[in-house]
Amino acid sequence: MTDINNIQHKAFLFDATRCIDCRACMIACSVENNIPMDKTRIWVAGVGLKGEYPNLDRASMVYHCMHCDEPDCMSACPVGAYSKRTDGPVVYNPDLCIGCRYCMNACPFGVPHFDYNKGLIEGAFIDKCTMCPQRIDNGQEPACVATCPTDALMFGERADLIKEAHARIQAYPNRYIDHVYGETENGGTSYLILSHVPFKELGLPNLGPTPVKDVSEAVMGVTIPFALTWGAILTGVTVGVHTYNQKKEAAEKKLIEAENPTKETK
Amino acid sequence: MKMQISINPRLRLSPLVMVLLTLMGIAFVVAMIRYIYGIGAISDLSYSYPWGFWISFDLFTGVAIGSGAFVMAATVYIFELKEFQPLLKPSVLTGFLGYIMVVIALLVDLGHPERIWYMMIHWNETSVLLEIGLCVMSYLTVLAIEFAPVVFEGVKWQKFAHLIHKFIMPFVILGVVLSTLHQSSLGSLLLIQPAKLYPLWWTPILPILFFISAVSIGLAMIIFESSVSSRYFHRGLEIHLLEKLAKAIPVVLAIYLIVRFSQLTLAGDLKFLFTSGLMSILFWTEIIVGSLIPLVLFSFNRFRQSPIWLLIGAITLLVGMILDRFDVSWFAVKHPDPLTYIPTFMASNAHYMPSLPEISLSIGIFSAGILAFGLAAKYLPLFESDEEHAHAPQPKPVIATKAASD
Repeated sequence: MTDINNIQHKAFLFDATRCIDCRACMIACSVENNIPMDKTRIWVAGVGLKGEYPNLDRASMVYHCMHCDEPDCMSACPVGAYSKRTDGPVVYNPDLCIGCRYCMNACPFGVPHFDYNKGLIEGAFIDKCTMCPQRIDNGQEPACVATCPTDALMFGERADLIKEAHARIQAYPNRYIDHVYGETENGGTSYLILSHVPFKELGLPNLGPTPVKDVSEAVMGVTIPFALTWGAILTGVTVGVHTYNQKKEAAEKKLIEAENPTKETK
Repeated sequence: MKMQISINPRLRLSPLVMVLLTLMGIAFVVAMIRYIYGIGAISDLSYSYPWGFWISFDLFTGVAIGSGAFVMAATVYIFELKEFQPLLKPSVLTGFLGYIMVVIALLVDLGHPERIWYMMIHWNETSVLLEIGLCVMSYLTVLAIEFAPVVFEGVKWQKFAHLIHKFIMPFVILGVVLSTLHQSSLGSLLLIQPAKLYPLWWTPILPILFFISAVSIGLAMIIFESSVSSRYFHRGLEIHLLEKLAKAIPVVLAIYLIVRFSQLTLAGDLKFLFTSGLMSILFWTEIIVGSLIPLVLFSFNRFRQSPIWLLIGAITLLVGMILDRFDVSWFAVKHPDPLTYIPTFMASNAHYMPSLPEISLSIGIFSAGILAFGLAAKYLPLFESDEEHAHAPQPKPVIATKAASD
């Protein structure tokens, strides 16, 4: 087992075939992070029974922040309340949050959650998985991983986990779908998923290798040059129109003067 | 007894004003409940639908219908089409009030309204929302400056009015630049949702589409408000000016349709046009009502010169384009269905339907806007052009004359 303090790019690996839907991870997370009963940062969803007796099948998925390598929430947040630690976690700073909920719109996984039942005095904030910085900075695995009884959740160096995932697929090609979700999705995530049912059935969106924020960031990149150019063009048009109108007026005046020299003198 | 006589006439309120004040009162109570118990107490917003009616109606629609201000400012000041001067002040006021309504609505919608100014000091340059926030704040200031001369004239501070008039040009240009930026950026706001917004609407050129449609909305809005206020305030209708504005609408709409359909063709999204069920219906409704009907209607002299057809055409365009704003920000956005993966206690609202208090809040804010417009129309030289005003006899202070006559 590698020393957690030395992991360069911390990541999770979740294996849906190993998950027994016990939800111990949810309890562990809430206890570790002091989450009230009506909220959670991690949730387990079963996709129900499938098949016919005796060939029954049931899949379940542990869901929390994907800790994207290029987080869309961080790109969207107007005040920069999100940041990405160099070793993986995407963290949220409630002291900056203005509660606009744009991050919830931006996140393709629907991860950030908002306190809808808190007024001004209590303060309504966004909440999401933080990868337990208080634990990983002390050389411990995140609470959900540490408590998982079947090793469905594992924690480690991202590159190693990807290798491990592919090794499992190779060892049991009939069991797994030949894809590690999160290896390339949305620019790569720090939460890798192995599954025996299509990822869509686990509630995971079908995403390309480029993060969803790319187009929006490209547009933002040209905003200031565009604004300056547009301002210059408008100034030019203003001056141009004004000069043209004045010349036209002067010419008209001259014309009137030339036509009616007597009237003008009166 | 004497006091009652002098006060009563001032307190006499028309039924319309009473209704508006009642709606504002309801909205105020709803806002207080929200501030004490949270957004969930009054709205149907949820984890899966973080943005709803307030964003679609107050932000997207509010900003869109405020676009008349920059369209008119550009026409009158930049292109020096001075004949449109009489339409300038009302449209600047509409813009100004519209944007104030946007900010008030955001103060309810934001989780931390007291931190709205954080946008001014904590900048995340990649965020479209930051750009919109900064643009709206600055543009509100510009609109205040553009409208200030009317207020100064109203209170007889001609010196200040002239001073602002002298230095108005830089502000006008700044205002048009800011408007271009945030009108288009409202479209950019959805660019981050390629996986959620339906392909008939999601396109990298959303900002361009938003800007073109904002221009058409601005023109229609000026026609609409001139028509309505001429009826309500019993003043002449500048039909010759409105007709010219209406002439521009088909051009703008044609550009809009060409850009929109070329994009759909190039992106290979034409296959969604007829096969997407509800989405196809929404798409065609917004195209036919918002673009095609006004385009055809305003192409004919006969309709452009008729006050009633002008109004009908403008309303059609506004309805269709506002539907577009609702589609982009709400109807065509598909959030991940939380039933598949969120525990039931978190997903009390898998589907979003705006609650009554939520809508009443928007209506209350809107009522305040209408009331403010009415007050401005009554007490400020809103519908007089500058030249007229210079030669006009000194209007008597309204309240004083009323009290005196009683």
